[in-house]
Amino acid sequence: MSSPRSRSRKLQSRAFYALAAVTAATFVFEIFFIFLKAPVEVRMGIVQKIFYFHVPSAYAMYLGATACLVGSITYLTRPSDWSDAVALAGAEAACVFGFIVLTTGPLWGAKAWGTFWTWDPRLTTELLSVLIYVSYLVLRAFAGDGDGERRFAAALGVLGAANLPIIHFSVQKWGGQHPMVITGRGGGLQHPDMKLALSLGFLAFTLLAVLLVWSRARLEMVRSRLRRAEEDAIDLGLDTRAEA
Amino acid sequence: MSPADTAAATTAAPSASTSPDDRATTFQAVKGEPEHYSGETLLVSAYAVLWVIVLAWVALAWRKQAGLSTRLDDLERVLDDAARKQKPGQ
Repeated sequence: MSSPRSRSRKLQSRAFYALAAVTAATFVFEIFFIFLKAPVEVRMGIVQKIFYFHVPSAYAMYLGATACLVGSITYLTRPSDWSDAVALAGAEAACVFGFIVLTTGPLWGAKAWGTFWTWDPRLTTELLSVLIYVSYLVLRAFAGDGDGERRFAAALGVLGAANLPIIHFSVQKWGGQHPMVITGRGGGLQHPDMKLALSLGFLAFTLLAVLLVWSRARLEMVRSRLRRAEEDAIDLGLDTRAEA
Repeated sequence: MSPADTAAATTAAPSASTSPDDRATTFQAVKGEPEHYSGETLLVSAYAVLWVIVLAWVALAWRKQAGLSTRLDDLERVLDDAARKQKPGQ
């Protein structure tokens, strides 16, 4: 008879594979919809279709950053391997989706603005945010894995999240060239298939973000458990270093 | 057609031109006009970049997992050695 822990792990694995299958199916349907169903935009042409995964990527970056914020605050108030793992996984997700935003945006800008990059308030604050999460990951990679380093990284995770509202409202407060299609005074998407394509994009990227944060946090938990086992072995006088 | 294309077309058809004045004598850069990029190429590039970044992250996670496996192997080896040493004396 299996133990409760083993049953819980089995259940988690099934939920993970189910989520992965749903995510893959959503992406297949989204790709089909974007390229074969959603109409081409009248002024920008086919390049406007970048919008259907550029905006959801930015949203997925916010989700990763939120996971990092929740994990960081939880770690600062009640330190645990779990909260640290969620914070790290969230920071990595924020970085990955941030890179996607920062590469797909300029590719759209090349067509729409005639230039890949401009120091627009939203672009600049987005770049700043990604750099904060890059610095978080650099800190975690090179500064060790002690409680002090984890606390310092958690503070950085909170700081990174503080920049998110600035990105969001920068386009309204400071103007700039960045479009405001679905927020503020934007006119919105003018065709039902365009709206559906964007909604599918949000769904697909939400599922992908959850999947990636979950798998990465799980890996980090395993790493923490292994580190503790190694420390226990060293306390027992066993040398765990590999023989040359 | 851009001025450069016009110039190229003019020089490529010698039979149509008899006077030296008809031929291009200078090449001038386009002024004030934005560069043109193919929307299709940009769209495919954006989509490719998206998946390259996600797959790079998956590969990185795979590498980290491989590192953990190596550490786990070391730990198992050390535990096995310790158990073997304990057995003869009990």
